[in-house]
Amino acid sequence: MFATIRRSLRHKVMLLLLGTAVAALALSAVGLVFLDLRAYERQASNDLQTQADIVGRATAPALQFDDRAAAAEDLTTLRARPNIVAAALYDRLGRPFASYVAPGVAVSFPQAGLPGYRVVHDHLLVFAAITEHGERIGTIFLQAHYDPWTHLREYLAVILLVMALALVGAAFVSGWLQQGFTRPILEVAGVAREVMRTRDYSLRARKTTEDEIGELVESFNAMLAEAGRRAEQLRDADRRKDEFLATLAHELRNPLAPLRNALEILRLRGDDPAISSKARDMMQRQLGQMVRLVDDLLDVSRITTGKLEVRKERIDLQAVLRNAIETARPFIDAQHHSFEQHFPAEPLMIEADPTRLAQVFSNLLNNAAKYTPPGGRIEIEAAREHAFAVVRVSDNGIGIDADMLPKVFEMFVQADRSLERTQAGLGVGLTLARRLVELHGGTISAMSTGRGEGSVFTVRVPLVEGLGESAAPSRDRDASAGHFRVLLADDNVDFVSSLAALLSAEGHEVRVAHDGAQALELARQFDPQFAFLDIGMPKVNGYEVARRLHEFAERCVLVAVTGWGQEEDRIRAREAGFDRHLVKPVEPGQIEAILASH
Amino acid sequence: MASLSAIARRALVLLALCLAQGAWAQPVPEISVKAALLYKFASYVEWPPDAFAAPDAPFVIGIIGAEELAGELEQLVRSRTINNRRILVRRVKEGETLAGIHMLFVGGRDLARIRGVAQAARPLSVLVVTDTERGLEAGGVINFVPVEDRVGFEISVDAAERSALRVSSRMLGVARRVLGAAS
Repeated sequence: MFATIRRSLRHKVMLLLLGTAVAALALSAVGLVFLDLRAYERQASNDLQTQADIVGRATAPALQFDDRAAAAEDLTTLRARPNIVAAALYDRLGRPFASYVAPGVAVSFPQAGLPGYRVVHDHLLVFAAITEHGERIGTIFLQAHYDPWTHLREYLAVILLVMALALVGAAFVSGWLQQGFTRPILEVAGVAREVMRTRDYSLRARKTTEDEIGELVESFNAMLAEAGRRAEQLRDADRRKDEFLATLAHELRNPLAPLRNALEILRLRGDDPAISSKARDMMQRQLGQMVRLVDDLLDVSRITTGKLEVRKERIDLQAVLRNAIETARPFIDAQHHSFEQHFPAEPLMIEADPTRLAQVFSNLLNNAAKYTPPGGRIEIEAAREHAFAVVRVSDNGIGIDADMLPKVFEMFVQADRSLERTQAGLGVGLTLARRLVELHGGTISAMSTGRGEGSVFTVRVPLVEGLGESAAPSRDRDASAGHFRVLLADDNVDFVSSLAALLSAEGHEVRVAHDGAQALELARQFDPQFAFLDIGMPKVNGYEVARRLHEFAERCVLVAVTGWGQEEDRIRAREAGFDRHLVKPVEPGQIEAILASH
Repeated sequence: MASLSAIARRALVLLALCLAQGAWAQPVPEISVKAALLYKFASYVEWPPDAFAAPDAPFVIGIIGAEELAGELEQLVRSRTINNRRILVRRVKEGETLAGIHMLFVGGRDLARIRGVAQAARPLSVLVVTDTERGLEAGGVINFVPVEDRVGFEISVDAAERSALRVSSRMLGVARRVLGAAS
């Protein structure tokens, strides 16, 4: 019984209604019975008291003139009232004077009492004073049948009947409620079960009412639609990720064959300068391709984990664009495209991370060159429009299908999978571009009138007021660059050796350590002006090395080299005494920039 | 059922015994009973409005030829009133004026005297009470009669009416005999 009640809403509603009805009726019945008993008693006692007064008045002269026979005769008139079973008169001093007993009744008369009434078992006893001309001359006693229980039984029978009717009514109402209340809910539950079983998110519950339950059904249907959409998106994202992995494997595998070939050539024909130079060029090209791929890959993981960061400074957008063009130009030329640029005379000052923003535009230019058949036309145009700097990169290439347009900025989407693979990237360039532009408070959009009609990518970045200083000084720094004592410490031997060779070639004095202890020892002998320290070194880690270095080489510039450029890492590096912070992979150019700035 | 009615009968007998015993317990002298009755009669009789000189005029009871009763009555009414009037007991000689008297007790068995007094009392609305056989016939309004061991009384409604007195029907109910009952 209780298990059913817990399970079924219908039973709960029924129980609620019936319970309420029964409780209310029972309470009111108790109250009514109580009141009725009180009223019954009051009425009966009032009646009997009135009767006592009347008889008392009638018998007063008999009492006055001490006429017992007349008094007894007066009392016998009570025979007309069958409910009165006994009566007695007492004189002024409470002595018995006359009495009456209904036929067939046994009564023992009490002592004369104070005026008032009391109930003894099933009899009502009344004493009343008899006064004549303001003088108390005696007391009358009446005893009557008192039977409230018969009356009560009748009363309870009526109440039980009413209760039964109310219960029937409540059952009827709950049955009616079930139509508009539990049935739709059960239907929703049924649909939910069906969806779980079949994974068919197109199923919908039927809305039958306009009340809260109707709302519930509507919300449930909306939820189903949303769940269906999510499931679809997840499937889509999963598919794109699979494709991306396949592409990635392919792209990483591609340069490996030429590299191995070149190594073989060097082994066989290393003595021929012309051939070995050609092999090295090839190796460098293929390596560059791989570095770009891996950089893209790093950016992808930064985007997906939300760790992409930009460091903004006030800068002229034109300088950024020139850098981007410089990067993309070799590829554009290699595709034999014509290239045009239209820049305004005045600078376009923005708050931006020059490297990251340049990455956006070189990406767009590369895409334009990639998706345009050789000999096409590429244009870049920058302009001031109200509070925004607007850059448009257009081409007359293969364009984008209308149905692809909204999707081109999504992760792992490529416009044309049939395109020659050597040119294909990982399909993350535009996703990265959009994220970067957004981090600069700007927008990016794609436009194409259709396949074969070319495409236009528009980037809008907010301008800042005021004329900026040009970024030129870096070149001055290059000019004044001197030769320094540099300590490189990293347990990656290949990386650190190659970097040492490069720096030595530029005229710096370089020492190399492969663990923290060695780095400290070298520093003591060598007193470096710059120390580039890997953090994750064996024996003594980079933070510890920095702390100790500070003790004896105060003027040495300490640079931390870490795998991830998290704010947390930067703070920790600064606390350990590092002056600068580089994130792997470190380019020789970054090291040169640091050397040049001191 | 039979036993129940038997019990009832026994109870009745017991009750009757009790009542009788109560009456015997304190035998009251006849003279006191008569004094009390005189006093009580006043409550059941209505005098004409001009019978009292003033609203607070006393109620006067005259006594002829019953010195003992007069003394007893004086004791009884000392602290009592009738319709908020003080009560005066006046000893009256035969032939004395009856003006100002409301109730007059005539003692003795001399019917001639009674007749004479009643004659004089009638125009003055005096309630004449007698204590002798044929007292009513001699002109008394109320007459004491012995009833077993108690004192009863009889009333002449005709005599009351002639004296412009009204006797309450409730008192008539307990009278032994009523003469000339109003039709």
